[in-house]
Amino acid sequence: MNKIFLNWLYQELPGLVEKGVLSQEAADKLRQFYGQVKNPGRMNTGLIIFGTIGAFLIGLGIILLFAHNWDQLSRLSRAALSLSPLIIGQLLVLWVLLKRPQSGALKESTATFLSLMVGAAIALISQTYNIHGDAGTFILTWMLLVLPLVYIMQASLPAVIYLIGITAWAGNNWDNPVKAVIFWPLAAVIVPHLIWALKREIYALRAAIVSLVMAVCILSAASFSLGKNWPGLWVVIFPSIFAVIYFIGNWKFNQITTDWQKPLRFIGGIGLYVLVFQFTFKYCWQYLGSYSYGVNRDISFIGLLPDYLITLAIIGTAVLLFYDNLKRKNKLVALFGAVPLLAIAAYFLNMQSTFLPLLIFNLYLFVLSLSRIVAGFRLNKQVLLNTGMLMLSSLIIARFFDSDISFIIKGLVFIIVGIGFLTANLLYSRRLGGVK
Amino acid sequence: MKIKLIIYLFLCACFAQIITPLSMIARREFVLKHGAQYKFKVAPVDPYDAFRGRYVALRFEEDYCLCAKEDKLDTGQQVYALINVDDRGFAKFSGLAVNRPDAGPYIKTRLNYISGDKAYLDIPIDRYYMEEAAAPRAEKVYRQQSRGGKEDAYAIIRIRDGMAVIESLYVAGKRIEELAGKETK
Repeated sequence: MNKIFLNWLYQELPGLVEKGVLSQEAADKLRQFYGQVKNPGRMNTGLIIFGTIGAFLIGLGIILLFAHNWDQLSRLSRAALSLSPLIIGQLLVLWVLLKRPQSGALKESTATFLSLMVGAAIALISQTYNIHGDAGTFILTWMLLVLPLVYIMQASLPAVIYLIGITAWAGNNWDNPVKAVIFWPLAAVIVPHLIWALKREIYALRAAIVSLVMAVCILSAASFSLGKNWPGLWVVIFPSIFAVIYFIGNWKFNQITTDWQKPLRFIGGIGLYVLVFQFTFKYCWQYLGSYSYGVNRDISFIGLLPDYLITLAIIGTAVLLFYDNLKRKNKLVALFGAVPLLAIAAYFLNMQSTFLPLLIFNLYLFVLSLSRIVAGFRLNKQVLLNTGMLMLSSLIIARFFDSDISFIIKGLVFIIVGIGFLTANLLYSRRLGGVK
Repeated sequence: MKIKLIIYLFLCACFAQIITPLSMIARREFVLKHGAQYKFKVAPVDPYDAFRGRYVALRFEEDYCLCAKEDKLDTGQQVYALINVDDRGFAKFSGLAVNRPDAGPYIKTRLNYISGDKAYLDIPIDRYYMEEAAAPRAEKVYRQQSRGGKEDAYAIIRIRDGMAVIESLYVAGKRIEELAGKETK
């Protein structure tokens, strides 16, 4: 049996026994039958957090103690002392590898400490020798030196530091798309770790944090590095990224995790909705070209090729995942993830008139919200019902604010939408009562 | 067996982590020891905002050199700025080379922008770090100097094989650390 399910089962057992659903005996038999979970050493989150903070404070303390008498020291001894926190960090990690290779908490906290000390050492040396303040080079050097720790120590906080670092680096190079686009291969290096973390402990905070940071970093980096020479293409790029995030968030482990543990689905869903809602407004399509964040610099086609290829790959992945969900009859998921396809159509139609894209997205949001309301009723899922209602009311209210309709009618619409909400929920509760 | 491999890999990573800062140190120490000394006139970036944190922000008084239109230079391009010393002993940029010069002092740098016949350089020296307590005192001295219109600040730069490292900063003929120290007494 999948250890994820087993983990879940074992988590549930004590509660079931307590509530009298299962007898202690039956629970013990279940445990006997399935045997021990080969647990990869569940990490104690508190220990990791406090261990890391403690280690970090000690490192800072050491640097401050040295800095107190900094001026009396010769340049070379300052340089040598700058390296000492780094060496202490390395020795700590080595000790953990030799003596406590099983302790996830120790691995995580020492690897994080070392990651920070690598940056501290380079910064202190830059200071000692008054090295030119090129933030980009500093960050990239630091991150490349941190990267091996992610895999050697199987540690996720260094992975988070790395992701944030390379995103900052891409941001630093936002006006140089040829360079900023290197973010993508750099980020791809962390994907095996993310998959490993997801597979290993779906429940754990670790997988949630890494995937959350990954999603946010990818979205930020996309704005720094993609579609630079293609005005208005953001209307396709961002829905595609959100759709990919949303589809991945809906992958197979969805039976057992609770909502907050699926940050990808949440971010993807919210992002898609916000974009679609924006796309129902006229201004968005009217000024599409002028919303471009491109740089006004001549870049050769070869220089922009990686940008094009990555953009196409992202859009392609979104479309493929859409068809995959369609084929597997995940209609609700597929419908929500259809935004990139519609955005592509709208992008090209917009060249003819702004009316067609508007029509497409207004209709789409209407259909999407209705389908959620219906599915909410059918599947007895109040979350679906209410998100559908929220989407529908946002659409109605937005359209009424758009048009020149008197305040009385606008007021009435609000009241009707409110009544709709109440009625739907009331009907739903009644139905649920009937089911019971 | 697996743990052995992990430890070997970790030792490789450690080597990279140590060698990076060490090479930064070694290259600069080499230039400071064997590089030729040049005096460059510096101007405060803004006398009232010269001290950001613990360093003095520096700008070379002449951070450009003349170039001809036919040079076809691009912003951000890597160039070699050739250095000349004038009769008063101050170093100045005398020309640009796209390829590494065979002889003579030069700094490897990038083009910031071109304005008319002047090519402005992104000089790799833009800061001088000081001890935390000394920085505000140095700022005061710096300001007094510039108020009197005697902005005779210069930096001693060591240069070797295109690499420049700042050695010290002088204001009114005295090391800035010395001036900042006097201020307290």
